[in-house]
Amino acid sequence: MPKQDFEDLKLEIKRLREELHQKEEFLRERQYKKLQGKNVYNDQFTTEEIVRYSRQMIMPNINPHGQIALKNSKILIVGVGGLGCPAALYLASAGVGEITLIDYDEVELTNLHRQILHSESDIDIPKVESAYNSLKRINSHIKVIPLRLHANSLTIKDIITKNKYHVIVDGSDNVATRYLLNDVCVMNDIPLVSGSALQMEGQLTVYHYQGGPCYRCLFPVPPPPHAVTSCGDGGVLGAVPGTIGVLQALETIKILTNSSGVLSGRLLLFDGTNTTFRNVKLRERNLKCDVCGENPTVKTLIDYELFCGSSSHDKVINIDILKCNEQIDIIDFSTILKDNVVLDVRPKIEYQMCNLPNTVNIPFTEIEKDDVFEKLNKLFKNKLADGIKNVYVLCRRGNDSQRAVSCLKKKFSESPIIFYNVKGGLHAYSKFVDTSFPRY
Amino acid sequence: MNVEVKVLFFAKAREVAGKSCDILSVSSPISYLQLLEEIVTTYSLADIKRNIILAVNEEYCNLDTTIYLKPGDEIAVIPPLSGG
Ligand SMILES: [Zn+2]
Repeated sequence: MPKQDFEDLKLEIKRLREELHQKEEFLRERQYKKLQGKNVYNDQFTTEEIVRYSRQMIMPNINPHGQIALKNSKILIVGVGGLGCPAALYLASAGVGEITLIDYDEVELTNLHRQILHSESDIDIPKVESAYNSLKRINSHIKVIPLRLHANSLTIKDIITKNKYHVIVDGSDNVATRYLLNDVCVMNDIPLVSGSALQMEGQLTVYHYQGGPCYRCLFPVPPPPHAVTSCGDGGVLGAVPGTIGVLQALETIKILTNSSGVLSGRLLLFDGTNTTFRNVKLRERNLKCDVCGENPTVKTLIDYELFCGSSSHDKVINIDILKCNEQIDIIDFSTILKDNVVLDVRPKIEYQMCNLPNTVNIPFTEIEKDDVFEKLNKLFKNKLADGIKNVYVLCRRGNDSQRAVSCLKKKFSESPIIFYNVKGGLHAYSKFVDTSFPRY
Repeated sequence: MNVEVKVLFFAKAREVAGKSCDILSVSSPISYLQLLEEIVTTYSLADIKRNIILAVNEEYCNLDTTIYLKPGDEIAVIPPLSGG
């Protein structure tokens, strides 16, 4: 199918979807007209709202006052991913009056296993737009504001000065944004409902709530960038951020309805491997804290990427540590793949997930091991006997393979073997050689 | 006096230590900084030494305290998670 046809089809689907949406609205308005206006039985809610929220409103914990509080609340959710999606879903369903969503990314296929507001037909559209559509379908009574932007000191400051949020929900995926949101919340006196998740673990707490500690009280200095694992590298099971995101919604609702029992001064550690929840009692606010202490040194928003030494997203930053003549272009590589030695240095699990034929898996983390050296030594000797002395090193994105080449060069400095890095790795292979190779 | 305590690892500490819990023999009473040092050295956590919370029996340990440990006490080693 030619590219233009794809575009035409996409446009037609978009138009049909809008038409469908209008017809649904039209029907709803006619069908429920009597339920949607003012009524003589309650002056705060429409008949439909009372029925819709009745199951939570009849509880003493929420009651009509709590429901009014939710309706009059404005919240900001930063990150519409694994945490932000479930959090937004429950907050919209519960009737929080105004929800602003911030995210710069577009929906990718790798998001769908955990970011439950996005569907297959949303791929390549901005996450905030996809989330907006999903939330509005669930609850058309609330206001949802999608902001497609990168959260940084400038953008956040602008938004915060124009709006008064009652709660900020941190569903971000990186350290820099976490410090940014913490400082914003302290400086503007807003509770921060902070969740995070990786692999099978999750963490949840509420910062800067009723005199409680902030993120910096607990973690005054950011971790070194190389000691931070992203979901893209470490992996994450969707139900884990799902669990934490839902709990973020719960804490947000408790704060908005002025309920007791908010998870402040306590840190919830969720371990999905054995389904345990631990509640660690935290310290009190640190009077010497850089931002919320008695004499704060951080009084305005700073450059958080600089402070953390890492960017405010979870994408991988590519390295370039080899000389030109130590590298091979992906197209050239694809033509010589068959008759050469190719080492794939990805972790074993990733190799099992998908691999090129005639490659040998030597995980980068094991490259320094003695038995691996022996194995390679033997392999190279056999190949040299056949007159093959070129060894191509391959990984997911072409970064670890560069590190592997420099390491192997040292280890085999006595050998006539020549190591080449395959530029751009399997990502490039999938992009330029064969799109049917899974790009993950 | 030495006591055997249970050390629980979370997040990055679990990854680096290569296990989710361990039994460790430490002296008691012990200062927070000594305990941190002991754990960091035993489990190669130097990289994240400044980014760890220690909690004894699910309670945060202040940095300037002396900790009195009993056998079987649980020490949680908690770095922050940042993914989402
Ligand atoms: Zn603080």
